[in-house]
Amino acid sequence: MEFFRKTNINFQGNRRIAITCSAIFILAGFISLIVRGGPNYSIDFSGGTGITLRFAGPVSEGEVRSVLNEIKLGDSEVKTIGGGGSHPDILIRVKETAVEAGTVTLVENTIRKGIPDNTFEVLQIEKVGPKIGKELKGKAVWAMVVSLIGILIYLAWRFEFKFAVGAVIATAHDLFAMLALFSLTNLEISLGIVAAFLTIAGYSINDTVVVYDRIRENIKKLRSATFFDIINISINETLSRTILTGSTTLMVLIVLFFMGGQVIHDFAFALLVGILIGTYSSIFIAAPILLEWEARTGTKKKKL
Amino acid sequence: MKKRNPLFRIILIVVLMVAAVYYLYPTIRLEQLRKVERVKFATLASLSGLPVQKVSRDVYGDLDLRDSIPGWDALDEMTRRQITQDLQDLKGPFREKLQGYRSKAIRRGLDLQGGMRMVLEVDLVKLLDNLAQRKDERFDNMLEQIKLRTSDPEVEFFDVVKQVFGEANIPLNHYFLTSRSTDSEILKYINQEASDAVDRSLEILRNRIDQFGVSEPNIVKQGSRRIVIELPGVQDPERARQLIGKTALLEFKLLADPEVYTTLIDRIDRFLRKEKGLETESDSLAETQEAATDTAAVRTDTTQHVSQDTVVNVKDLFGGETEMPETTGVSIDANLLKEAPFKALLRDIGQDIVAVPTANYSAVNNIIHRKEVQELIPKNVEFLWSNVPQPGPAGEMYWILYLVKSEPELTGSAVRDAKVDIGSGYNPGTSGKPYVALSLNRDGARVFSEVTGANVGKQLSIVLDSKVRSAPVIKTKIPSGNAEITGNFTMDEAKDLAIVLRAGALPAPVEEIEERTVGPSLGADSIKSGTISFIVGFCLVVLAMAVYYRLSGIFADVALILNLIYIIATMAGFHATLTLPGIAGIILTVGMAIDSNVLIFERIREELRTGKTVRAAIETGYARAFVTIMDSQITTLIAGVALYQFGTGPIRGFALTLIIGIISSMFTAIVVVRVIQDFIVNKYDPKTLSI
Repeated sequence: MEFFRKTNINFQGNRRIAITCSAIFILAGFISLIVRGGPNYSIDFSGGTGITLRFAGPVSEGEVRSVLNEIKLGDSEVKTIGGGGSHPDILIRVKETAVEAGTVTLVENTIRKGIPDNTFEVLQIEKVGPKIGKELKGKAVWAMVVSLIGILIYLAWRFEFKFAVGAVIATAHDLFAMLALFSLTNLEISLGIVAAFLTIAGYSINDTVVVYDRIRENIKKLRSATFFDIINISINETLSRTILTGSTTLMVLIVLFFMGGQVIHDFAFALLVGILIGTYSSIFIAAPILLEWEARTGTKKKKL
Repeated sequence: MKKRNPLFRIILIVVLMVAAVYYLYPTIRLEQLRKVERVKFATLASLSGLPVQKVSRDVYGDLDLRDSIPGWDALDEMTRRQITQDLQDLKGPFREKLQGYRSKAIRRGLDLQGGMRMVLEVDLVKLLDNLAQRKDERFDNMLEQIKLRTSDPEVEFFDVVKQVFGEANIPLNHYFLTSRSTDSEILKYINQEASDAVDRSLEILRNRIDQFGVSEPNIVKQGSRRIVIELPGVQDPERARQLIGKTALLEFKLLADPEVYTTLIDRIDRFLRKEKGLETESDSLAETQEAATDTAAVRTDTTQHVSQDTVVNVKDLFGGETEMPETTGVSIDANLLKEAPFKALLRDIGQDIVAVPTANYSAVNNIIHRKEVQELIPKNVEFLWSNVPQPGPAGEMYWILYLVKSEPELTGSAVRDAKVDIGSGYNPGTSGKPYVALSLNRDGARVFSEVTGANVGKQLSIVLDSKVRSAPVIKTKIPSGNAEITGNFTMDEAKDLAIVLRAGALPAPVEEIEERTVGPSLGADSIKSGTISFIVGFCLVVLAMAVYYRLSGIFADVALILNLIYIIATMAGFHATLTLPGIAGIILTVGMAIDSNVLIFERIREELRTGKTVRAAIETGYARAFVTIMDSQITTLIAGVALYQFGTGPIRGFALTLIIGIISSMFTAIVVVRVIQDFIVNKYDPKTLSI
C-alpha cells in the first residue's frame, strides 16, 4: 500500500502565507498571555494545595463551594474534572501561599459534615510549596534552552550553520505556538505539559532533520535545480514518510487521549496538537528559513 | 555484491535477548510473589477478622499481628496455629525472597499503586542560629540576609554564608566556635554539622517510617539539604504526615490550673466587651475583686447550661474594626453572646476541656493572638492547640485549646525509650487496652519524680512542635523513670505517640515543601487505562505496518515487539520506576519507533523504483537511511536528555523510557530487521520484495 507515489506539491510557493499565519497565531497567544498576566500555571508551578475527591453520588460544584465557605475557604477553586456523572471527581484548589498542615484534614472533615448524605474518597492530594514552584519554572526554561543549544551545536556540526538555525527557529516556533495555544484556550500548564512541550521539541526536530537530510542530499544530486525546487522536491520525496510516521504517532496519541484516563488527558492533548504543529513547522517554517536565508546571502548563487 | 555474514548480528541479538530475560526475570517473579502475598494476607485477614490493610501494615511494621486480634484467646487451637504459622512464613524466608526480587525489579510509581511522596528541607538557617555561641542584632540581620539570598535554590548555602559575613566584615569566629578558630575551620565545622543534621534527620525519619509499616518505603537524600520520602500504598496520608512532616521539638508541660484558665477567659471577655462598648457595671466591680473571686461559680455555669448555637457574622459580634479574616458564620452560643463574646465561641465538653468547634477555630485563634489579648495572658502560661480536631460527644469535631505552663518540665532529650504495650490484669479500664510505656534517662527520671510528686491529679501535656499530642493525668508520683501513658488510645494512636516520644527532637527543623498523595483507586484507574490504551495503541501500530508494508511490515512488527522487551528489560536493569507518564512514554515510543523502519522502507521502495535488484535496493536503502536515522534520532535524544535532567519524579520516568526507546528502536530497525531481510534475500533470492 502507498499513500503517495510521486507528489509534486508546491509547498514553498505558499510559505509566506504560512509564516504570516504562524506569526499572527503566536502574536495572539502572547497578547492573551499579557492580558491574563502570564500562563495559567497548575499547582506544580504556582504552589498551593489541590485535593481531588471522588463522590459516591452526584454533587454540584456550588454545593462544595458553599460548604467550604463555612471554613472561609469559599474562594477556593472548585471544579469537576473528567465529565462528572454519577460519581463526579471534584478538584478543590485551596488558595494559600504556605503549605499548611491540617488544611487537607479540615477540608475533608468539613465536606464530610456539610454533605452528609454523600460519601467520597480521596483520589489525590497535591501540596506544593511556593519555593518548589519557582525552582521548577527555572528548571523548565533551563531544560528548553539547553536542549535547543545542544541541537544547534549538533546540527551545525552535521549540516551547515543555517540548517541548525532553521531547525532551532522551527522548534522555538513550535514551543511558542504551543504556549500560545494553551494561553488562548486557558488550559493549565503543569509539569506533565512541560514534559509534553519538550517531547514535541524532540519530535519536531526529528521531523525537520529528516527533511533537511533530504535537502542536503539533493543539493549534491540535483546540481542544476534551483534551491526553491530542491526544497520542494525534498519535501515531496519525504512526504510519504512524514505522513506515515505522523499518523502512527497520532494514532497512539488519539488512543491515549480517549482511553488514557483523566491524569493523562491534557498531556495527550498537548502531544496530539504538538505533533501536528511539529509536522507543519518542518515543512512551512524550517524549510522556508533556508530559502529566505539563501535568498538574502545567495552563497549558492541559485535563482529562486 | 558480497554476501553479508549475519553471524555477528545474530549473536548480538541473542546475547541481548538473554540479557533482557535475565533482567526481566525478577520483575516477573515479583509479580507472581505479590499475588501469593495478597492471597496470604487475605487468608490471614479472614482468619483474624481484621482488615487486609491492617494485616499488611502490622506485618511490615514488625508488629505481632496476634496482639491486634481482638478475641485471640477465644479462637480455636487450629486457627491460632495456622495464623502463627502464616505469620512466621510471611516475615521469614518469604519476605526475604520478596525483598530480594524487589531490589532488582521495576518499581511501580506512586501514581500507579497509590501512595504518598513528600519533600522535606532541613532549615540550615535555623541550624546556623542554633550553632551560634552568642547572638545579637547584627547576627540576626545577617541571618535574615542569608535566608533571603538562599531562597534562590541554585546558590550554594555556604558560599552565601561566607559572602554575607565577608560583606559585613565580621569574622565568623565572632559568633561560632572559639575566637581562635579560622574561617575555614568554622565553615568546615558548620558544613559538617549541616550534613550531620540532614543525615540524622534522615535516620530518624527512616526509623519512624520503618515502624509505620509500609512495604517499600523509599527515603533518600536529595542534594545537600533535602529529603525525599516515598511511601507506596499508604492508606491514611494524614497519619503519615503527622509522623513525618512535623518539626519535632518534644516537651512535657503541665497544664495550668482550671481556675487560672477560667479567670483568663473572663478577662478576655471583659476586654472584648469593653472594646465593643458593652461594659457593664459589674465589670468594674469584678476587676477589683478578681483576685479574690472564686470563679468556680462561673465554671459551673458553663458546664451546666445547654448550648443554643446560632450562626453569626463575626463583624456583628466584634465590630468592623477588629482584624478578623473574612469570617462569616461562626457558631455562637446564643445564651452567652452578650455577656461573654469569647466564651460564646468555646464549648465545654466535660473534664475541664475547653473545646472549639472547627468553624470557630480561626476566630478563636485570631483573638488569642491579638496583641492586646496576649498582654492579658499571664507570663508563665500559654495557649496551645491540640494537634488534630477531636470528636466531641455528639460526633462534631472540636479543636482542643489547652492552657499550659510556658516552661517545659522536661524535653525530648530526657526520653530513653517508649513503646506500646497492652494492659493486663483485672481492671476493666486498662485491661486489653494499648498504652505507651515511657522510660526516661537518669536525669529525666529525677526531674520526673519531682514533677509528678508535686502534681498528682494534674495533667501533664506531651507537646510536639507546639501542638498538644496528649495530656495524660498524673496518677501517682513516679520515682523510677518508667511511666505508663494510658488513655483511650487505639493501637495506631498509641504506636504513633510512642514513635514521637522515641524519635525525640530532630537536630534541625525540617520543613515540608511538597507533598503528593495518590489514592489507591486513582492508581488502579491509571493502571487500567494505561494498560488498555497501551494494548490498543500497540495493536493499531502493528496492524498499520502490516497493511502498509505487508511482509516487511510484519518484520518491522517483530522488531517492535523486541523493542518493547528491550525497553522494559533496560528499565528493570536500571531498577527504574514505571509511572503513568512512563507508560505514555512507551506508547509514544511505539508510535515513533516505527520511524526508523519507515525511513528505511521508504528508501528501499525508492531504490526499487529506480529498477535496482532486491538485494541492491536493500543494500542502498539501509545505507542511505542510516545517516538520516542517526541525525534525526540523535537530535531527539538531546531533547530527551534535557528532559531527564530537568525532570522530577514522574517526568524523569517519561524521559527515561523515551531515551531507552530511541536507542532501542534504532537498534531493532537497523540490526534486527536487516538480519531478517538479509536472511530472506540470501536464502530465496526473490525477484520482488513484499514491501
